[in-house]
Amino acid sequence: MGGSPVMSTSIFLTCGVILVFLLRLLASGRDGEDQARVAAPERTRRKSGYALQSRELVFRIFSPGDRDFVSSLRSPQLLRMYREERRKVALHWVRRTSREVGEIMRTHRLISRQSHNLNVATEAGLLLQYLELRSLCSLLVLLISIFGPHALNDLATYADGLYHRLARALPENAAVDGVAPSGNSAAP
Amino acid sequence: MSTATKLVTMNGAYDDLLRRTLSGIPCDLARLIYLASTRDYNSGMYHHEGLSARYSTALARDALQTAHRDIFFRLVALSLEELVGEMESYVRMSREAPIGFVHAWQELEPYRVAVPMEVDATMVQLFLSNIRVALEVLRFRQERGPACPPVSSPLPLLGQ
Repeated sequence: MGGSPVMSTSIFLTCGVILVFLLRLLASGRDGEDQARVAAPERTRRKSGYALQSRELVFRIFSPGDRDFVSSLRSPQLLRMYREERRKVALHWVRRTSREVGEIMRTHRLISRQSHNLNVATEAGLLLQYLELRSLCSLLVLLISIFGPHALNDLATYADGLYHRLARALPENAAVDGVAPSGNSAAP
Repeated sequence: MSTATKLVTMNGAYDDLLRRTLSGIPCDLARLIYLASTRDYNSGMYHHEGLSARYSTALARDALQTAHRDIFFRLVALSLEELVGEMESYVRMSREAPIGFVHAWQELEPYRVAVPMEVDATMVQLFLSNIRVALEVLRFRQERGPACPPVSSPLPLLGQ
């Protein structure tokens, strides 16, 4: 019984960390979408030497636009196929990113061993960034494997639906229908 | 030949390729297939008779390789809906029966050999995956029948 509050606290903290990761990912995804839109005319102007940027590739893999297009065809079989195909590509990208950053860090470690003037603060910062990225990749693999490549959007939609169901279920909030979460109150 | 001169000449060969050959091909997917067909399967080297005669074998090879990669990148950057549009254009251009075309592409997967060499592995995965889904979308539309936009009005064939 004595360990119970500690357990609750650690579960709470873990959930918090995951939530922060998700929000950061979601935010960076939106940035990528906007930038890709802005960058499009520039790309069409260039005649040669154009290479798809890594960020644009990520946007393309995780873009919900493709899913919306397939969904509009109203074929469950087609949607299933699309999800499976895109899931494979997304996992390929995450695993490769994780593997590549591991290789970069291994090389850096080998070089650092021979260095005589290491900056501890810089090295600690690098290590933290590395661990953050590896954790993020593991989390992404998990989310993509379970929920598919559009996991973040799906989770946000699911959470929104859950919020409305919960709000409706509470007797003191019976009038919550039509009351949107903060930020949407200006809707007519 | 200095590096700058070489680059200018390569750009000339590239522009020539765009102007004389690729501009006559109506869609990027067809351009990709065409450029892949100028590559030798065994050596991976590109060859174009006219371009080699006007410039040099090496410059023609560089221009073809650059164009192949550029068009591949453009196709990877397309949304699925846009790629389906590209495929519809290509089917029209091929003048094959759409049902037979989709069936052959799904069975033989000829688009696999259209991928340039030494490009990002995830891009290749995304391209191949998108083509598979796009083919399935075309098949679905064909099965749905007349409610979908018809694949008709054939465009002129290459060189016509």
